[in-house]
Amino acid sequence: MSVHNRKKIIALSAVAIGLSFGTLYASAQEKYGFGHHATADEIARYETDIHIDGKGLPKGSGNVALGKEVFDVQCAICHGENLEGMREMGTQSMHEGRRDIAKLPHSTALFDFIRRAMPLTDPGTLSNDEVYGLVAYLLNETGVIKNPDLTLDAKSLAAIKMPNRKNFIIDPASKFTAEDLKEE
Amino acid sequence: MKNISTMKNISNIHPTRRRIIQAGMASSAALLANSALAQETTLIPSRGPGDTIDSSVTYADRSPFVKDAKMRGSANGLSGGGLTPLQNSRGMVTPSGLHFEVHHSGVPEIDPSDHKLLIHGMVNDPKIFTMEDLLRFPSISHFHFLECAGNGMGEWLAPRSKTVQQTHGLTSCSEWTGVSLKLLLSELGVKGDPKWILAEGDDGARLTRSIPYWKAMDDAFLAYAQNGEFLRPEQGFPLRLIVPGFEGNMNIKWIRRLELSDKPWWTHHEVTEYADPRPDDKIRAFSFFMEGRSVITSPSGGMKLDGPGFYEISGLAWSGKGTVKKVEVSTDNGNTWQIANLNGPVLPKCHTRFTLPWTWDGKETTIMSRSTDDTGYVQPTYQEMYKLQGPIGMMHNNAIQNWHIAQDGEITNVRS
Repeated sequence: MSVHNRKKIIALSAVAIGLSFGTLYASAQEKYGFGHHATADEIARYETDIHIDGKGLPKGSGNVALGKEVFDVQCAICHGENLEGMREMGTQSMHEGRRDIAKLPHSTALFDFIRRAMPLTDPGTLSNDEVYGLVAYLLNETGVIKNPDLTLDAKSLAAIKMPNRKNFIIDPASKFTAEDLKEE
Repeated sequence: MKNISTMKNISNIHPTRRRIIQAGMASSAALLANSALAQETTLIPSRGPGDTIDSSVTYADRSPFVKDAKMRGSANGLSGGGLTPLQNSRGMVTPSGLHFEVHHSGVPEIDPSDHKLLIHGMVNDPKIFTMEDLLRFPSISHFHFLECAGNGMGEWLAPRSKTVQQTHGLTSCSEWTGVSLKLLLSELGVKGDPKWILAEGDDGARLTRSIPYWKAMDDAFLAYAQNGEFLRPEQGFPLRLIVPGFEGNMNIKWIRRLELSDKPWWTHHEVTEYADPRPDDKIRAFSFFMEGRSVITSPSGGMKLDGPGFYEISGLAWSGKGTVKKVEVSTDNGNTWQIANLNGPVLPKCHTRFTLPWTWDGKETTIMSRSTDDTGYVQPTYQEMYKLQGPIGMMHNNAIQNWHIAQDGEITNVRS
């Protein structure tokens, strides 16, 4: 029996009950009720994503110097000492092409991705300070924000406007327009 | 048919007697098949009773004579995948064990009794579902192709590889069974006006993609089974998202979380390798659909025709935007086109097998196929695609594939 039919039958019986007793109880019965309510604590344990407005960015901060230190130890082995990429490790340059840091539309996704997926063999082990530092290091190193003293935290990272955002166009087949996805 | 029903109990019988019965069954089956050939059949040498039925073998393997295999690899051991051997594919379904795979952080081994799915964000009642919970909901089953957006990316500028497995092996087709996402969301009650859903996998990378909310209301579902059994680990066991017709990467495997929001996340994957750079420095984002495409799988690159004569041209066509309406095949380098048979079933957002009987005259030629879907979209040539995407635009390559046939029957990958 399709869900539609099932609902129809529930609705019809609810109408019948309603007619007999003068009360409608349909809505409560339309749900299957499987699964359990997720508490705020449970959600907090799962939720690790960063929204483009910065929602989800954790406490902490890091600067270019810390980022370089972490990069040299944790990242250079696969990405190359100068972010040039290493074909044999499956990585590409961060100075040009598809992985060009300067082409990213938002810095939030850079923080989010490093934190969730890197380092490849040990994801999720970097501290929030280290991730802030890495983002600062990468933005400085690729010339997006030329400032060797750059320090980032939740507030300053969320405030970054990536210069290439304007070059992103939206496939109309997605049923979204540029207007729909405008950011304030 | 009588013989088959008696087979059920044969393993309980004494081995010697079992062999006799089996031999008798085999010969009577041969007689039934064609009594006129009976005398001839007895001349076939060395026919034994066959392998005994080993009760310890509980999951059947292929014949040792069948060697079809994925081409599997990874530069760093964790990001990589496997290509489906389309050259020997028959019908429209891909065996689960040959389904293509692409991973960005390895294949996690997940105990389904530990796996949970959280749905939260713009909902009235955020919920956590166990696999047991999900299995209790009404189920749906659909046949759909899955194709990686990068299928054929290496072919973009020039024909570089040899076989259809290498040029097109990142597409496969299965029957997927699971729970409708629309049903699950109605269970939670949607709050406000969500536009996007973040889907997150439970692999090392916790891979995330922003899925349009309208897709959830349309035909997206959470699959726990593929081709009649639970998902294979490399296909997302115990749970994966299926967004029919959308690029493979969005069909998040090992799915652990869905978050409803009014804005997309512009995640790493959707703005880097799965976005499409244009010649004018623009980058097209949120290009979800795998558009109409077809390829001749046999005869194809790396094969050799055994002299002039009859050959069945066979291939696959599909469209992420709808149903395959027509496949045309040219056996004279694109000068003339013939309508191929669609073998059926012909289903939306699904591989469709096409065939065309063909007699090769032994002369050098090039063969190719061109699909049209029910939106009227006609599969483009490479020249047409170059106009749309610049030299680094390698994703969403759905151009027409040419196979050159030399006078000696040798088939190679060419661009004309």
